[in-house]
Amino acid sequence: MAHQLTTCTYCGVGCGLYLETADNQVIGAYPSVSHPANQGRICVRGWHVHEIASSPQRLKKPLLRKNRTLQEVDWDEAFGFVATRLKQIRDSYGPDAIAFLNSPRCSNEDTYLLQKLARAVIGTNNVDQGSGVFCNNSIDVLLDMIGVPAATTSIADLAHSDAIVVDGVDLGRRLPTIGGAVIRAKLRGARLIVIGTRRHRVAENADMFLQIQPGTEVTLYGAMAKVILDRGLLDLAFIKARCRNYENFLQQVREYDLLQAAETCGVSAEGIEQAAVAYANARAATVLYSTSMEARSRETIRAVVNLVLLTGNLGKPGAGILALSEQNNLQGVCDMGMLPGHLPGYKPVDDPPARAQLESLWNTKLPASPGLHARSLLANGDNRQLKALWMCHYDPASAAGVEEARGLFEDFKLVVSQQLFITNAARYVDVVLPTTAYGEEEVSFTSTERRIQLAQKVIQPAPGLMPVWQQVTRIAQLMGARWNYATAADVMEEIGQAVPFYSGASYENLAREYGRQWPCTKDQPLGTRYLFGDNANGNSFSFAAVPMPPQASLPEEFPFRLFFGSSLYYWTQDVLVRHSETLKREYRILWLDYPEGFVEINSEDAKRLGVRDGQSITLRTAGGSSQAVARVTPEVMSGTIFVPYFLREVEKKIWNSAVDRNQPVPVRVEKGAA
Amino acid sequence: MKARVLHESDVLSIVDILRQRGYEVLAPFRGHGRDTYFDTVTDLNRNQIQIHLPNPYYPPKRFVFPHIERLMKAEGSQGDLRIRPTYEAPKRAIFGIRSCDLAGIYHLDRFFLGREHSDIYYEKRRRNLLLVNLVCTDPERDIGKECFCMCADTGPAARDHFDLQLMDLGGEFMAVAGTSAGEALLANPIFRKGTDEHIARRRAILERLRTHFESTNTSWFSAAVRYVSQGKVSDKTWEEIGQRCLECGGCTYVCPACTCFTVADRQVGPNEVERVRVWDSCALGGFTRMAGGFNPRRAVHDRRNRRFFRKSSHYFIQRELSMACVGCGRCAAVCHGDIGMPTVVEMIRRASAQAEAR
Amino acid sequence: MRATEQNVYLPKPAVLERVLPEIPEVKTFYWHFEDAEEQQAFRKFRPGQFAQVSLFGVGEFPASLPSSPGEEETFFTIRKVGSCTSALDELQPGQKFAVRGPYGNGFPMEDYYGKDLVFVAGGIGLIPLRSCIVYALQHRKYYDRIQIFYGAKTPQELMYMPNLREWEQSAGVECFLTVDRPDAGWTGDVGVVGRLFSKPGVQVAVENSTVFVCGPPVMFRFVIKDLLAMGCEEKNIVSTLERYMKCGVGKCGHCCIGVAYVCVDGPVFTYQQIKKLGEEI
Repeated sequence: MAHQLTTCTYCGVGCGLYLETADNQVIGAYPSVSHPANQGRICVRGWHVHEIASSPQRLKKPLLRKNRTLQEVDWDEAFGFVATRLKQIRDSYGPDAIAFLNSPRCSNEDTYLLQKLARAVIGTNNVDQGSGVFCNNSIDVLLDMIGVPAATTSIADLAHSDAIVVDGVDLGRRLPTIGGAVIRAKLRGARLIVIGTRRHRVAENADMFLQIQPGTEVTLYGAMAKVILDRGLLDLAFIKARCRNYENFLQQVREYDLLQAAETCGVSAEGIEQAAVAYANARAATVLYSTSMEARSRETIRAVVNLVLLTGNLGKPGAGILALSEQNNLQGVCDMGMLPGHLPGYKPVDDPPARAQLESLWNTKLPASPGLHARSLLANGDNRQLKALWMCHYDPASAAGVEEARGLFEDFKLVVSQQLFITNAARYVDVVLPTTAYGEEEVSFTSTERRIQLAQKVIQPAPGLMPVWQQVTRIAQLMGARWNYATAADVMEEIGQAVPFYSGASYENLAREYGRQWPCTKDQPLGTRYLFGDNANGNSFSFAAVPMPPQASLPEEFPFRLFFGSSLYYWTQDVLVRHSETLKREYRILWLDYPEGFVEINSEDAKRLGVRDGQSITLRTAGGSSQAVARVTPEVMSGTIFVPYFLREVEKKIWNSAVDRNQPVPVRVEKGAA
Repeated sequence: MKARVLHESDVLSIVDILRQRGYEVLAPFRGHGRDTYFDTVTDLNRNQIQIHLPNPYYPPKRFVFPHIERLMKAEGSQGDLRIRPTYEAPKRAIFGIRSCDLAGIYHLDRFFLGREHSDIYYEKRRRNLLLVNLVCTDPERDIGKECFCMCADTGPAARDHFDLQLMDLGGEFMAVAGTSAGEALLANPIFRKGTDEHIARRRAILERLRTHFESTNTSWFSAAVRYVSQGKVSDKTWEEIGQRCLECGGCTYVCPACTCFTVADRQVGPNEVERVRVWDSCALGGFTRMAGGFNPRRAVHDRRNRRFFRKSSHYFIQRELSMACVGCGRCAAVCHGDIGMPTVVEMIRRASAQAEAR
Repeated sequence: MRATEQNVYLPKPAVLERVLPEIPEVKTFYWHFEDAEEQQAFRKFRPGQFAQVSLFGVGEFPASLPSSPGEEETFFTIRKVGSCTSALDELQPGQKFAVRGPYGNGFPMEDYYGKDLVFVAGGIGLIPLRSCIVYALQHRKYYDRIQIFYGAKTPQELMYMPNLREWEQSAGVECFLTVDRPDAGWTGDVGVVGRLFSKPGVQVAVENSTVFVCGPPVMFRFVIKDLLAMGCEEKNIVSTLERYMKCGVGKCGHCCIGVAYVCVDGPVFTYQQIKKLGEEI
């Protein structure tokens, strides 16, 4: 038997856990007591991680489409085919005819080399991570306002917060370890304010639960800012010393009206007042919101950051923003530059000095124009110029708001897929390159609290299987690039040169304790628990004026607000969940109860309309109508209809015809099928 | 029971002796930070074995009741079906098992081997297992802040269920044999006869240790057991407890006395299936859900209620002649919402006090 | 520790003989163990006991034994609800699956000697009771009157109709059928099964009797109410419970409710016991 500390790769928390192995099999898993992120806790997924490790359904040899069917070939043939075909397409159609998508589950090393292949070998900025559909709002706003697109504080520091604001995300289900940290902070005396439309386990524990109408967050935060200003609870010293654009912001906030905001949001004015005062009076307060599935609009994130700046809640222990990445390496994948507009380290692609720096490191010219976004590529079908697509652990079927991708790629000259299992995408891919999996490779991931940490190799993979980064290297070499990486640590060495805030993150350093939180530099090798702690660099933050949104009244004939969000329902699609018996059972409950999917309606509303649980209803909007099965639950607010992402029928018929996808859609609920 | 003493420097020789006799010896080691675990002793790590350290969090129950265990293989082709049980029962010794975990294994014995059906997989592993108990004597390193073996009457010094018990008397260890297998070990020349002074020292240490348990929540443990047994805990209290449960299952997985499992089939070859059992947890929503959708314990607080009732009701204590809570405190350390046994005892106490006040 | 070599989890290969459709979604599967000795041993089960049925690769599920120990053939009557029952449904005669058991306490039929037996069933609740009815008829002299009250949603959903017709003809057996939603051809009673109790001419045997009640939760609650109102004693009402189960032998923990493991302490309980278990039925 052997025990190895490693990182759980289910979600963005990045819990430290030990894997126990014997005879090249993972036989057990348990949490690390000392890891700062989870301190002895993991969730149900972590406890069952050993069940997946040895699924016999794993792919072991590359597959190449010959005579319309995928056939097993040897590695040289597969690599040779991909390299040759990529060269041909680049030469005939230009580099921008090729695009790369990866999953926010891919490692830092895999991602770094994949975008390097695109930019330095092919010559295109057509790189994006699959959840780019959601998360770029947070990256863009945070870059703009505080200069760093990441959580500014740490999970463990929640213990030092006197007030905690949770916006929207169902922490108990999506990021349980953080949910637990929040509940325990509350038990120790922190004031817990939960804002959101759906009631969930953490909301049950809140001191204040502001159950607001969907899409009214901006108004709520604006009104809170107004209360803070009116009562003089702002941190003027902090604002004067470190913030810009305060005047503009001030002007805009004055327009907010507490009573009107309360009406818009559907909560009491006292509730808003109490929340604002609790937040502003805290010595240190943290705000949590999701950058993934439950993503917020740019305006909402701006409004949140304004509140943070207004109260000086940055740069001290227990204060700050926890922008939550729900997927395990969403942060790292963005850090590595898997973004069509940003190079590794978030430098814009159209910034000549930034390009020049990388050009000298990579010894090549780099393209200057931003590439295609995943969203426009998949959802809008804006891919006429594309001839080839490379998907790294990415399955379009798992992206919300995206139609079946099959039709989109049928005319492509090349579709490459790096996968563990055969997926739906196998129907239209030309080459499948199976890779090593969790526990079979040593790579690094960056958690939602900027913690760069290692996932260790604890068992030997099947013969021939190798990590993504090695496959990318082989193909780059076949295309004439002089790449030379023997280990993942070598790749990290180069990442340290390309991304300044990773410069101290050598594998040796990362292995010493529990990874390092970036910035982790040569001067600051132990990493950074919370950002902006020292003002030496003269950090300057910028308020962003957010105009008060018009009060959206509902037309009489459409009295419900329909909104989209994430639900556990579709976790059955998750590759990792599908291959663990216990998780499959747990995450299939909803699916078994509602085999055709569901939309949620408040119990009282349902009673009034005479709608029973499991019954068919029709949702009618000004632009169209859709059928759905009702799930009657007290978890959603009265007057709202909650639609889980991936309910394709409703997505297609209602979301796609909506004017603004970030705004709730006014609907009417009718009993029975249309 | 036969008692001997041995010099501190000879303690690890017991591990060597066991290994020479063909045992795979599992002993506690340190990981990162405060992390500790039981691992197989090899020539390489033998000197890193720790005598005093926080009790490993991943319970040693897995050596008799593994986290995942194959039960059988079935091969079927052309209308044939062959089913072959798969047993694995290495000759093992756990060196340094704490008294609470010993009580846990005793509980598993009562549960898996007792009543009308005996569990052959457990039985085979258990019959090949030797237990060298170590008494927790170091207040800093051995006794955690969640420990309550004193209240559960399982420690710090176990009275039985071990093959051999070791206790640090300072410079020397006292060794007590609990079985003939343990007694056989005492024949080795490293063991000497003890004196009355040794026995006095043992008593003094145990007496002093009583003051080193931090958790006062569990002082009401026996009363909580009575309240739970008699159904005197209100639904409201269970709802408060349930509200803090994030349904991770951790409390049951780290519990030395939790026994629930589920069974799953996995395809391992074109015509071959293996049937495995894995730890399961009453905290999970799918635990009681029946095919067809009916779930008698859909609400999370019903499931919490269930766990504490199963652990601490008089009925089950009598049924198994052993209690399914051994006072190790692991559930408190593992819980996201801080509703391990000590907190639950305290919540029941507080609710009862409030009810009386009204 | 006592030494045993018996592996309670190990099922034995069984051969599917033939399949008869009963009602929509419900079929009867005739089977026998591959090993004749196994078959002999198994047939000593008691009415009300159950077996664990294995479809390797899918899983295992508990199934009650509707046949009586005295009957020549062994069979299961099963509704297709989950992945395991669907896998069984796909099996062809001659193909193999696996069975272990019998498990559970079963009905203490000897305790009821000299009494009237009243069977109240709703829908597929007749499956576990069939065994007792056949047993009682086979041991007719030990029991007094036998009454059967059986209801289903529609005439098509009445199970074991050939058996019911046969039982009806036996001496001292009264049989009453009802459906919630009659069709054109239905000439019998309409309404829930409890309505039969107050039908003119019906005298439910509530004194010196044992009343077997099996059916969906709603039906169960109403029938119990009616029976208690008629003066039936709680300890004389018996039923069998169903729970999610993995082992069938009191180890896996899934079926444990209140103070009872349904698999070993049940599945047969008196209403007096059920009431104390404190969980939704």
